[in-house]
Amino acid sequence: MNRRSFVKKGLFGGALLLLGGGGLALSPTRRLASPLRKLLVLDDRGFQVLVAVASRVVTVDGADPVAVAQGVDESLSRALPEVQQDLVGLLGLFENALPGLLLDGRARPFTRLDPAAQDRVLESWRDSRLVLRRGGYQALRKLCLGVFYSDPRTWPALHYAGPPDMGGFAHDDSQAGTPAWIAAREAGKEAP
Amino acid sequence: MSKLSLVRQSPNITDGSAASADLTLDAEVCVIGSGAGGAVVASVLAAAGVSVLLVEEGGYYGTADFDMIEAHTVPKLYQEAMQRTTADLAISVLQGRAVGGTTVVNWTTSFRTPEDVVERWSKRHHVGGFRHADLVPHYEAIEARLSIHKVDEAAMNRNNRKFYDGCKAKGYAVDTTRRNVYQCLQTGYCGTGCPVNAKRSMLVTLIPDALDAGARLLYRCRVDRLEVSGGEVRAAACTLLDAGGYGVTGRRATLKAKRFVLAGGAINSPAVLLRSGLDGGGLVGTRTFLHPVIGSSGLYDETIEAFYGAPQSAASHAFAHRGDDVGFFMEASPGYPVLTATAVPGFGEAHRKMMSGMARRTTHIALAIDGFHESVPGGTVRLRPSGAPLLDYPIVPRLWEAFRTAQKRLAEIAFASGAKEVTTLHDPPLTLTSEKELDRIDQAPWEPCRVGVFTAHQMGGCRMGDDPRDSVVRSEDLRHHALRNLHVIDGSVFPTSLGVNPQESIYGLARLMATRLATRGST
Repeated sequence: MNRRSFVKKGLFGGALLLLGGGGLALSPTRRLASPLRKLLVLDDRGFQVLVAVASRVVTVDGADPVAVAQGVDESLSRALPEVQQDLVGLLGLFENALPGLLLDGRARPFTRLDPAAQDRVLESWRDSRLVLRRGGYQALRKLCLGVFYSDPRTWPALHYAGPPDMGGFAHDDSQAGTPAWIAAREAGKEAP
Repeated sequence: MSKLSLVRQSPNITDGSAASADLTLDAEVCVIGSGAGGAVVASVLAAAGVSVLLVEEGGYYGTADFDMIEAHTVPKLYQEAMQRTTADLAISVLQGRAVGGTTVVNWTTSFRTPEDVVERWSKRHHVGGFRHADLVPHYEAIEARLSIHKVDEAAMNRNNRKFYDGCKAKGYAVDTTRRNVYQCLQTGYCGTGCPVNAKRSMLVTLIPDALDAGARLLYRCRVDRLEVSGGEVRAAACTLLDAGGYGVTGRRATLKAKRFVLAGGAINSPAVLLRSGLDGGGLVGTRTFLHPVIGSSGLYDETIEAFYGAPQSAASHAFAHRGDDVGFFMEASPGYPVLTATAVPGFGEAHRKMMSGMARRTTHIALAIDGFHESVPGGTVRLRPSGAPLLDYPIVPRLWEAFRTAQKRLAEIAFASGAKEVTTLHDPPLTLTSEKELDRIDQAPWEPCRVGVFTAHQMGGCRMGDDPRDSVVRSEDLRHHALRNLHVIDGSVFPTSLGVNPQESIYGLARLMATRLATRGST
């Protein structure tokens, strides 16, 4: 596929054609969870795949892959229509056992694999010779991680105390010296 | 009963999302885009008594919105909610979208265009309309208005300090940067909109100046195309966007003016021309440059907290000039949680472990200086089926060589400033534990989507020059070669990248050109 065909077919539309069609699956997608709210971009099958992906990408204790998938759907609602289509196509391709069989030697859809096998699929996309598969892996990874770490509840584990409290702030006339809130932090600072 | 809405009460500010009918607006000059180029043009022309309409696709946000939380601010302030990428997904594109454009979210680093770059444009790209000396008084005026001044060494945060100290230890030329801030409180959140208006962005300087001088502002208005006939632009046909900025209201706007100034930046300005059928014989959208960025993260025993403090206060240009090889410059970048989580490679436990060290990690970057070698021709902006721009930017072998070399220099800098280990943005990550391991960087997979690459500096696509066969606008006044009342005044006119952060280059060039327009018009 030349670079220009990205524009014509969409990123993963082209890949689906390349790999012999997107509708074929050897067994159906496993239903993992119901969406928490109405889906804005994804269909239910894509949502299930995304829940499965999120459960392997974000393995922090207490992480909720359903909430992450819901957040990804919401962030996709702000994407261009072509990007939305690409992501839906990507999730279909990720799940689909037929290209999986051809490229990874797996005969089951992603949602029906055990966690270790799912990690191997993610790794095979990460390390693929095809830039489309590597890009697809990166897109899914970043969407899930971006949603997860946007939640302030994840910040203590990063030793990130969040933005400074600007409540009641008024401009200081002094331009010199260390701002008071940084100085206050300095006083009791420990390396995490 | 409804609350008083101050913005909507302002007679010269129109929120396109609130229009209850289609709009038709007239002005002497219509400026499309309110970032570093458009805001300068609007302020200069309005001060000269010209009737100006400034049009912006993004929203009109202020400190009440700038709460320093990425989940809230990024969708408001970035193109495609920071999900803009190149066609093959290999490069993440950070570009602003708001009243004030990218100046609302940049990291405040301010450099004049290097004199040798302007000289090169003159010699190699037929840019005869101005010299470096013509720009100098305009840099000076902008520097005064935007409070651009050099950072005091003592004011660097630890992330920049490690970079600075590492450069010094290795003997690499380094200096503190100049920033456009006044009474900066060093919160560190320049990238999500300054919460205290210390950053002298266009939002709080030249846009208010333009409004004070009588300019009008229309926001949440996307220019779909320019309507052209008889060698002139007659009108701009626009779609009004909803308050969130990602949907349409169904209302349209028609903007009429004697003169149009396109200032949408290096990806959106070419897109407006392409949607208008103005491909410039195939030139429009080509030679788009990005200063493509790779990153390096050092892990230290002590706290770094790259998320707090002025995000960018030191820079090294020690490797900007590398002869036949592509040069690069090096700086620090902030470490907000989402920005970090999406840049840090890997997934699952490996990713969690890297993130748990975030507060003890530096984030240092190298920016490749593209466009100065024939074999580094940059990228090409095309249109998606929806009409939105799509940038294709192949990373050519000479850029990969620059990345490899830069990755080694960044690792040296981190080790020289006390890092215990240094990690690249390869996926899976490459982690070095001493300077002796630098050769491993050569073995890493340097291929698209195997290593994180970013851009925050988009340039070119509507390049200036005096040969119409090789440029889109002429250099004397940035007027379109074929359309007598259309100018392009933004970073898209640069014939190459710059080798420095671009905001002040855009301000200076825009101010020179707007002053020429105000004083002598255009023929």
